[in-house]
Formats: sequence, C-alpha cells, structure tokens
Amino acid sequence: MSVFSQSFSPCGRFLAAGNNYGEIALFSLSAALSPDASEGSQKPILNFTAHDGPVFSLLSTDTHLLSAGNGEISAWSWAELIKKVSQLFSKCMCIFLGLGKMYISFHCCDNSLIVGGGDNNIHIMDMETGIFKSVLKGHTDYIHCLCFKEREEEILSGGEDGAVRIWDSRTNRPVHCIEVFKYEECARPQFGKWISCLATDSDWMLCGGGPSLSLWHLRSMSPTSVFPLPGCQREAVFHQDLIMSVGEGPYVSHCLHGGTVKAQIPCTPSSLNTLALNLKNTEHRVMTVGGSSHQIDVFTNFSYRAFSLSF
Amino acid sequence: MRTQITSSATVMSSDAVKKRKPKVIRSEAGAPETKRGRAEGDQDVRVYNEEVELEVRDPQQDYMLYKDTCAALAKLMEEIQELKAGGAKVQSVEIEERRTQCSVHFITLKKLNRLAHMRLKKGRDQTHEAKQRVDVLHLQLQNLLYEVMHLQKEIGKCLEFRSQHEEIELVSEEEFFQEAPAEISRPHVTRDDQHQLTLARLDWELEQRKRLAEQYKMSLARKEKIQKAIEQKREYLSSLQPGLQNIMQASLPVQEYLAIPFEHMQKQAEVARHLPPPLYVLLVQAGAYGQACDKNLSVSISGDVDEAKALSRPPEDSQDDESDSDAEEEQQNTKRRRATLGVQLDDKRKEMLRRHPLSLCVDLKCKDGSVLHLFFYYLMNLNILTVKTKVSTTTDLSGAVSAGELLNSESLLNCLYASDHGKETPNPANRYQFDKVGITTFGDYVSDLGHPFVWVQKLGGLQFSSGGAQSGLTGSALSASHMERTMKLLRGRLQARLALHKQFSSLEHSIIPVSSECQHLFPAKVVSGLVRWTTMSCQEFTELGFVQHVLKAGLVHETDLFFMATVERGTARLRAAVVMNPRYPEVAPLFSLSLHWKGERSGRTDDNLQAMESEVNVFRSELQGPRPGLQLLTNQIQRLCVCLDVYLETESQVCDGSEGPKEFPREKMCLRTARGPSRLKPFKYNHPQGFFSHR
Repeated sequence: MSVFSQSFSPCGRFLAAGNNYGEIALFSLSAALSPDASEGSQKPILNFTAHDGPVFSLLSTDTHLLSAGNGEISAWSWAELIKKVSQLFSKCMCIFLGLGKMYISFHCCDNSLIVGGGDNNIHIMDMETGIFKSVLKGHTDYIHCLCFKEREEEILSGGEDGAVRIWDSRTNRPVHCIEVFKYEECARPQFGKWISCLATDSDWMLCGGGPSLSLWHLRSMSPTSVFPLPGCQREAVFHQDLIMSVGEGPYVSHCLHGGTVKAQIPCTPSSLNTLALNLKNTEHRVMTVGGSSHQIDVFTNFSYRAFSLSF
Repeated sequence: MRTQITSSATVMSSDAVKKRKPKVIRSEAGAPETKRGRAEGDQDVRVYNEEVELEVRDPQQDYMLYKDTCAALAKLMEEIQELKAGGAKVQSVEIEERRTQCSVHFITLKKLNRLAHMRLKKGRDQTHEAKQRVDVLHLQLQNLLYEVMHLQKEIGKCLEFRSQHEEIELVSEEEFFQEAPAEISRPHVTRDDQHQLTLARLDWELEQRKRLAEQYKMSLARKEKIQKAIEQKREYLSSLQPGLQNIMQASLPVQEYLAIPFEHMQKQAEVARHLPPPLYVLLVQAGAYGQACDKNLSVSISGDVDEAKALSRPPEDSQDDESDSDAEEEQQNTKRRRATLGVQLDDKRKEMLRRHPLSLCVDLKCKDGSVLHLFFYYLMNLNILTVKTKVSTTTDLSGAVSAGELLNSESLLNCLYASDHGKETPNPANRYQFDKVGITTFGDYVSDLGHPFVWVQKLGGLQFSSGGAQSGLTGSALSASHMERTMKLLRGRLQARLALHKQFSSLEHSIIPVSSECQHLFPAKVVSGLVRWTTMSCQEFTELGFVQHVLKAGLVHETDLFFMATVERGTARLRAAVVMNPRYPEVAPLFSLSLHWKGERSGRTDDNLQAMESEVNVFRSELQGPRPGLQLLTNQIQRLCVCLDVYLETESQVCDGSEGPKEFPREKMCLRTARGPSRLKPFKYNHPQGFFSHR
C-alpha cells in the first residue's frame, strides 16, 4: 500500500488520507493524541473506497473534502465524514482531463478549483456551479503539482516535462516558464527532468523532483540554493524558517534557506510521498507523513517521530 | 414293699419269738417247729403268744416291774454278797435260793427287756406302717398332681393347637353354600354346628382340589404334546437354513449382473450393528449423502468384526477372565521380576490409545479417475475419531520434486477448515486422561493413529465445546449439516493438489502452463522466463531477508508450503518467495520479490517492485482462471514474468551515466512509463489492445 495524499479537516481534529487502492481513511487526531490513546485509536475511524484508481490528491475546503481519482473529482462533506457516513456529496467527472486513469492535482482559491490533469492543461472550475471556467494550456506533459501565490494571484504549475510555469489567475495567461532541468546546479539527468513538488512563500519558490530540490527567488528567476538531498523529492513545504521535504528515502529532511540540510528525521515508510502540517488547530499541531507503507507517521514535535497511524 | 418287709419282719420276729419259744417251750413242753408250722389252729392253744400279751400289759406297769425287779435283784445281790461275805458257801441253800430268785428276776428282766423290745418294735412297726400309708398317699398325691399338670399342659397344647386346616384357604361361607353340592354342605347340619361346617368346607375344598389336579394333569399332557410339535417344526426350519444360504450364494452373480448390491448392503448393515456410535453416524450420513447427492462417494466398513463383537459382550465374562488372569499374572510375577514402571506405563498408554477394531473407508472419486481414500478410526477410550488418507491416481505422479509434500498423506488434509490442524485432540476431557498416563501431546501419535480433525468429529456427530460458537446440534443432525460442505472441500482439496502436482512438474521444467482460457490475461510475447522452481522449508523461508514484512504481519504458519521461483531475463534475476496456504486456492499464495539487477532491490526498497507484488497478491482475483481457480499459481507466475519485462524495459537508462544501447529494448507498448510521484511503471495489461497502462 502507498499513501499518496493527506488532508486535515477544517477543525483540525481529523486527518483524511488517500492510498493507491482508491481508499480514503479518516483518522481522529484527538483520539490518537489523547493521553489514554491505545492501539485502536491509531486505526481509522472510517475507511471507504472513494475511487477505483489511486487517490493522488486530497484537498479540504471549509466544508468539504475533495478527492481526485481516475478522471473524476469527488466532494465529500466533512460534517458527514465526521459522523462516519461516507456519503458522496457530489462528483464531477472530468472525462476530458485525460484518458481515464490520469493523475490529477488541484488547488483552490476564492471559490474556484484549479485542476491540473493528464491532458497537460490546467482547468479552473467554479466550485459553486461546477462549470469549468477556463483552461490554461502550455505544458507538454502531464502536470504533477500546483501552487498558488495569494498576493499576486498567480498559479504555479510543475509538470512531467520539467517546466514550472507561472500563470496569472485573473487573466489566465502564462507569465513565466522556468525549465529547471536546464540549470546545471539543479539538474540531475540521471533522474529525469520532471518536477514533482512545488511550494511558494511570497517571493520564494521551492521546486524539486528529478532535478534537486532548489530554492528559487522569483523576482530574479534564479536558484539561490540547491539542497544536496540524494533522492527525488516529492513534497516540500515552507514552515517558519525551515524547509521540510520528503521524497525517496525513509526520512523527513529539515533544510535551511541557505541550502544546508539541518536534519534528517527517520520514518517508517521506505519512501515518502506526502507531508502535511496541521496548522489550523493549535491543540493538535502535528506533522504527518505518508509514503510506501500502510503506516502514517505522526510528529508532535517536528524533530522526532511520535507514533504511527495505521491505514 | 414296705408292707412286705414289715410282714417278713414280723414273721421273722415271730420266728425269733418262736425260736426263743422253743427254749421256753422246750423247757416247758418242747414242740418242734414243724409242728407249729402245720397246725396253726393248734398253735393258738399251745403257742405262747407274747404279742398278744403285749397288748394286754401296761407299759408303765412293766416299767415299775422293771424297777422293782432291778431293785429286788440288787437286794438279792446284796444278800448274796452278804452271805458270801459272811462266809457262806457257794453251794449254800440260801445262796442257791437267792440265786434262783436272781435267775427268776433275770428272767423277768429278760422278759421285760423282751417286752420292751417288742413294744419298741411294735411301735416302730406302727409308725412305719403309718408312715408307709402316708407315703402311699403322698405318692398318690404327687401322681395326681403330676397328672393334673400334665393334663393342664395337654389342655394348653390342645388349646394352642393350630390345625393345618386353618392354613388352607377356604372359600367363603356364602360361596361354599352356593357352590357345594348338598351332600357335602349338608346345610341343615352345618349351619348350626361350626365344627361340621368346617369339616364340610374342608371336604369341599378337597374335592375341588382333586378336580383341579385332574385338570392340571390333563393340561400338562397337552402342553407336552404341543411342545413336541413345536420342536419338530423348529427342526424343519433349521433344516431349511442351509438351503436358503445356498440360494443366496447362487444369487450373488445375478445380483452383480443386475447391479443391485442387495446382499452386500445387508452384510454391511449386519456389520454396522457392531460399529461404535460415531462411526455409525458417519456411515449412515455418508451413505445417505452418497446416495442422494454424490454418486462418486462410496462407504465401506473394514476391520475385524469378531473383535468388535468381543468388545460388546457383557462384562461379567471378561471380569471373571480378568480375575483369573490377574491371579495367574500375579503368580507369574512373583516368579519373575516385576515389570518396570515404564513398561506398565507404556501398556497403560497403549490401552488408552486403543482403536476400535472396525473402521470406515470413504472413497471420493474425481472426474479424472483419481480417488481419495479416507480411513476413519474411532479411539474408544478417548472418544474421538481420527482419519488417515491415501490418494490413488490413474496416472503415475512422479517427476515433480517440489511436489513431494503436496499429496503427502500426513499433510494432505491440513487446514481443510481454517486453523484445523489436526495435531491436538479436540476433546478437552482427554487432557486429564493423558495426564494420568504421561502423554504430553497427542501430536506424537498422530502419524500412527490418524489426524483428529474437528471436521471429522463433526461428521461423526461428536461435538466438543471449544472456544468457538456452539451450534446446538448433536449426533446425526450435526453430521448432516457438515457433510456436504466437507465432502466438497475434500474433493476440492484433492483436485487442487492434483492440479498443483501437474503444474509443479511443468514448472520444474521451466514451463509455465497457461491454459487457453487465461491467455487473454497476458501479452503474446513474454521474454522473461522461469528458470527455477524449488520447494523450501519453513526455516529457510524465515531466514530470507526480503520476507520479514510477511513474517511480521503474521501471515506465515507452520502448516504452509514454501517455494522459491526464479525468473530471469538477461542479467536481471528476480526471486520470488511464495507462501502457499494448505487451503489453496481459497487462500491465495503470497509472493515476496527481490530483484538482483545492478544491485539488490526488494519490494521494501523499490516502489515498483512493491507495485509488482501488489499486481500478483492484491489483484489476484483477475488471475483466478476458470471456476475452481486452480490456475491461480501459474497465472501469478506468468504475470510476474510480464511485469518483470515491463519493469526492465521501461527502466530509464541513465542511472549510472553509462552510454550505449539499453540492455532491454522497449518492446511493450505503454502509454506512460512513469506516473505519479513514486514513478510507477505501467504493469496493467489491457487485453485486446495489447498495451500497458497504470491502474
């Protein structure tokens, strides 16, 4: 089993995780973190099959959980899920997003959903009506990851073709295109050119994948630091002044902006696919990572692994 | 007598008197005695009867006379004395006179003495007579008293006498008067007289009894006759028996010809009576199931019927025998050294584990002609059933080294139902019995006695409380409820094992037998090939490095079979460790992969190998094949080969920066070679189009 995606509930007390068999499991963080937690509280409170392909992306809005499967996006009501009812709220079949079993990632901002799919395009959907408003074309291969800069209202997308494109969400036009693999500091031809993780923090951008994980300054469009991490990084986030990234290798890497790897915290799965931070809830402020194992590691103190949830 | 004595005394005394008399009389007259005797009448005149004188004289006077005489005598004596003193001569007249007077006085004294004596005697005699009379009377009194007492006793006896007639139950008086004829009952007499009535009744009783005795004799005679007749008829019947037997024997060939095994079934029923109850239940239920649902099931009884009969004989005989044999044994023991404790314990163990002499043999035939023989035994003291198996096939099964364990009778029926190992006895009471004789586990004896599976107990209607749910059925109902499912499982097991056997023999020749129904699961051209297929022991399996996750998840049991498959293509070698549950194909085999190509990778370290493992382990339902799913294993192996092909061909070349042609040119059609963050390869084969895609 591989865990591909995670998402915390709006209240921050529950964690939803999706795996490669199309199942979504709901864990209760309050039960798992309580002082009298037992082995049973590390098991899901709800486990249901959402799609017939892997659930590569999960996203939480204020009221709903969105999950992406084989050519479809489903929405589940958090209120229902917390009551252990896995009733589908609505499903949107994105048939045109690829020939069936393609990889979908999305991001959402001010009521519209940004969906990147296997047809190499980015689609923007209005969440209330479910109508696709616009299409952003430009990538030559399927899209791995999406990111949104709130201040400038720009969409960043990274794809299999190795390019990071920046789009203006208001005008829906491409602004920049960075081909990371062309930069010698980052490029790692032995792995490929695909970009699998993107993260932004105002002016800074993290991207990695085939090329090494690198921190870019967006104004100058140049890489400032390259992180010497051996494997391909699959997800990276900014947190306070640290950069945390996960990928191949059973550890979470803590890196500094300067380019040094401060720490590598060991984890149970042999390689990690997803990292999530629960910042909405101060009580359950944890980091969870999941990868090619049925266990999802939970870090209460980000420096060491506390326990594992079992999918 | 006393009178006689006294009379003789008086006669004697009279004789004495008469004897003295002659002195006196002689001096006076001198008559002879004889004369006296003769002439009694004369004697009155002549004889001086002093006795008559006695009555006349007065005793007092005599006494005075005595005194006087004595005094006179004394005086005379004195005078004599004086005279003598005076010097008179002895022969003087005075002295002589006085002497004569003295003599007279002497004679008087003598007479007086005589009279005194006679008086005394008389008095004595009188007293004597009186006493005698009193005695006589006393005696009479005593006699009478004695007789009175005697009579009283007699009366008492008579009064107590219980005549036998009172013990005879007589009919009541009314009945008597009604039934008895007049000459016996004589009512005119008997109504008044109780004695007569009783007599009459007794008479009547006697007569009735005589009559009934007559009747009884007659009935006895009749009975004898009838008895003789019965005896004759019996003899006749028993003479028929051999004749019937001959007919039966002669009809056997006819029965066989007509395929009605009538006699065989009868014989079986006859023997079945001696079966112990669980085996009987099993026989009945299996026979019924065979008749109704499954024509290929047959049941038969084997074993020693005589021993079984001996077991069911009443225990008194055996007790006597035992006591005799015990006595003999003891005698022998005192002669020899006593057997050691261990040998005694051994004997006790053997006794505890004794099997009933009869056993059942159930044959399950399959369509291809192979037969599964099941032998059921009943352990009497432990009250459990055990089973031994044997497989006979039409073709010779050999040549598959790795298949050695498949049809092994020890493990053939392992885990027919999940976790039914058949190593321990399911009867909890046996624990206490074992403790007594020092058996620690039943598992040591299993190879000898057969496996005590739980389903075997259920088929025999034996229900033992275990941790699981109770079904509340017992006996035949329990057996019937399990029969169909168990028989189906048994047949399925045999077929699965035979299929595996065949598959193994071709796997060992590096050929993966894929049937035509399953060809659509795989592309036409598969380059990777199976090079080795070997069996492993549990020990070897647990030592492998890349299977630790399976062991940790608790998916490996001792009863499982372990194999190692090696698939090769070029320089790449893929090793697959297979854990096969005995319940294949219900429980799918579990594969763990390790690839040796430019380094060692396993499912734990390489996401793609993990994806390959999930292709064969998780998506196995696609690989089941046609209905009994017996092709699962071979399809899984074929799929592994296909996935290895895809893996090697889609591997990007530039890992170590080497240039040059790829070792494995891309031949498979894939939509995308890498998807998602974990860069998974497309392992799924789409059939008619023939390309590979991701799931």
